[in-house]
This record gives sequence, structure tokens and C-alpha cells, in this order.
Amino acid sequence: MPQEILVDHFLTPWACTAEILCFPFRVATLPQLYRFCFLMTGEATKAQDIFQDTVREAAFLAANGEAPPDRYWFFREARWRCLDVVAHGVQPEEGTNQACEISPHAPEQIEQLEPEQLAIWISAAPEPQRSILALYYLDEFTYREIMLMLGLKLHELSRAIASGRCEFQAWLNATVPVAAPE
Amino acid sequence: MKRLSRGLRALADCAPIENTKAPDHRMRTAVSRAKRTEDFGTQQAFDRAVAKLVEATPVSSEIRHWFANEKMAEGTKRSWRKTAFHPAILAIGIALAVIAVVVWIKFAEQMHAFPGTATAKKLLNVAAMTRPSEFEPVQTEAGTLNDLFFMKYRLEHYDVPREFSQQRTIGVRKFDDEEAGQVAQIGLAEKRMQLFLFPAPRDSKTGKPEEFAGWRYIEQEGWTGAVQVRNGILFMAAVRGTKKDLAPYLAK
Repeated sequence: MPQEILVDHFLTPWACTAEILCFPFRVATLPQLYRFCFLMTGEATKAQDIFQDTVREAAFLAANGEAPPDRYWFFREARWRCLDVVAHGVQPEEGTNQACEISPHAPEQIEQLEPEQLAIWISAAPEPQRSILALYYLDEFTYREIMLMLGLKLHELSRAIASGRCEFQAWLNATVPVAAPE
Repeated sequence: MKRLSRGLRALADCAPIENTKAPDHRMRTAVSRAKRTEDFGTQQAFDRAVAKLVEATPVSSEIRHWFANEKMAEGTKRSWRKTAFHPAILAIGIALAVIAVVVWIKFAEQMHAFPGTATAKKLLNVAAMTRPSEFEPVQTEAGTLNDLFFMKYRLEHYDVPREFSQQRTIGVRKFDDEEAGQVAQIGLAEKRMQLFLFPAPRDSKTGKPEEFAGWRYIEQEGWTGAVQVRNGILFMAAVRGTKKDLAPYLAK
């Protein structure tokens, strides 16, 4: 099949069948890739575009015999695209976020949230904390894999996660206050 | 958590959210120590709640189309051809091939080496640089020159082998070389061939001349030498050319 035809074939998303997209990537990872994009951008439409562009790029490479070597490629690729898109969008106000100790009531507070709210909060975090939190809360990668993908050291990773928890708790306390005991 | 060391605390901060097996020993240690603290339980509950919320992210039907086909994810194995032509593999392969060739050349050299190889090669250079005018003119059969060498220069056993004894000479000369000692050089009329006679190197322990059987070939800058040892004296027939040029004489 000529290359031009193959490329055109890829431009329709539902054309991504097994015979074309033959890269080493677990199906279970694709929803995670979309969620990652969603957490990074905070917007479903942007996440959808980036997700589709990333998978299309993978399909294009696979068609040229240069299939992505591993699943990390997808998240790296999507991350750069997200950062690029977010950099051209509305920027969050700069300032130090307040931080609180993690509350034992946090799970109840989080239950009251919508995924969009969490995504907006994470997408407003500064880099690399945004990428770290997005990858960590996907619960898809080990800490070593996250360090490898983002080129970070352990203390940088742990500091970003720990401070992210405390800042999110502060935001939770402001957004979803715990009901006072009767 | 504050009771943990800084390293373990850092690891506990990145602990797996679900109770899956920790990826390495240090993480397992960090998690098992952190579990003894109260705030780690709170952290785990917090993380699980956030991860659950992430998992609940709605995925539109348009997106679902992209991962509807499960076979899509099976992936392909890298073919041996692609692996073989990977630049890194290719570079390693070429490097190994070069090393193998060099090792083979060195091995072949060692296989053909004989006592006095270095001296014989040096004399091949001498043969290349010697002009006919440098010889003392003597026109006779090479086999008769042993008397001349003995009577004139006191060189004992400087006998030309029978393979070359019938060759007509154009001249001879004798010179001293630092490595070879006293060298007798004979110029032949045929093919401007040259014959060398010089002492064989001696064994450092026994002091006896080191000997070997048959003819050995050496090559140096377009010249080829056939070397034989007899009675502690090395004989070398040198000719500009290859082994083929010398082989007919040795077959006699």
C-alpha cells in the first residue's frame, strides 16, 4: 500500500485497526493516556485533541516501520503536546498556594468533587508538579517510571507529591469544607 | 512519617497508591516502616480517593472509538532484520568485525613467525635499498661462495642451500648489522634476486641457535623472503614480488 494512502487512512480515528496500529501499547493504557491529557489540560476538548494527535502520530510512525518503542513514548509525547497547548492558553495566577496537613476527612471531601474540578486544579499547578501529579494519580506507573519519564530525582518527585497533597487539601478545605460535627 | 529517615520518607511520599506490590526492596521497606505511622494511613486514603476520582474521568464515545479494538494493543516484536540494522548494533558489529580481523592477522603472523623474523624483515628492507653497484663483483655459482666467505671473512657454515646453489651471482658483500651480526649478501643475476646469510638468534637459556624446520615466508613492502635455518645460520632468498615468484626455486 503506498505510504500516502496509509497516512490518509490513519486520519480517520476509527481506522486504527490491528493491522495498521501495531505498536507495543496496552489497550488498558489508552484510557489512561486520555485521562493524563485531561489532568494536564483541565479541558476535555483539548485532552481529546491531544490524545488523538498522539495516537495518530504513533500510527503514522508504526506505518513507517518506526513504531513507538514503549508506552512511555505515548505519555512523553502527550505531555509535550499538553505543555505546548497549555502554554498558549490562559495562564493561572502565580502565587504560593496555601498548604494544610492532610485531613482524615479528605476522602469524604474528595468524593464530593467532580473529575473536572480535580483536573482544573492539577492543570493549574506549575511544572513539573503538574506532570508529576497527573502521572502519579493515574496509578499507572511506579515512582521509578515517573522519574525516568520526567527526568527527575527522587527528592524532587517526593517533594512535588507531598506538597501537592497539602496544597490540594488546603484547596479542598476552601472548596468543600468538612461539615462540623453535631 | 517524621520518624522515618529522609530517604525512606521520600519513598513513602511516592508509595504505590493501591496495595500493589512495591516495585523494589527499598520501597517495600519504606512502605512497611511508614505503615507503622498514623499519617501514612491518612495519606494512602487521600491518594486512593484522588486516584478513584481520576479513574472516574468520563471518556467520550468519540474517544472510545480509538481503543475499541483490543487487538490493536498486541504490538509487534522488533524483527531480527530491524534489530540487526539498528545503528548501535551495526556499530558494535562493525567494531567486533574489525577487532576479529586484527586478531586474526596477529594470530596468522604469530603462526608464521620464526626465530629471527624481525631481523629477516629488516634485511628485506636492506635488499630493497641495495644497488648492484654496492656489491663486490663476483660472477660464479652461488653454491661456491661458502669457501669465499670462510677464507675471506672467516664466516663458517655460510652455505647457500642447494635450491639456489646453481644460480649465477653478480656480486657479494659482507656487512655487520647490530641485530643480525655478520651478514653475507649475494646478488643474483636472475630476477635481481638477493640471498642473505646471517647467524640465527640464540636461545637465551641454552645459548644454542634457535632452529625450525623447512622454509618460512615473510613479506615486507612488496618484497618476499623465503627463510631456512641450517647449522645455526639463517639463509634468506629475497625477491621483489610474492610467494609465487619464489615457489619454483624452493620446489627444486
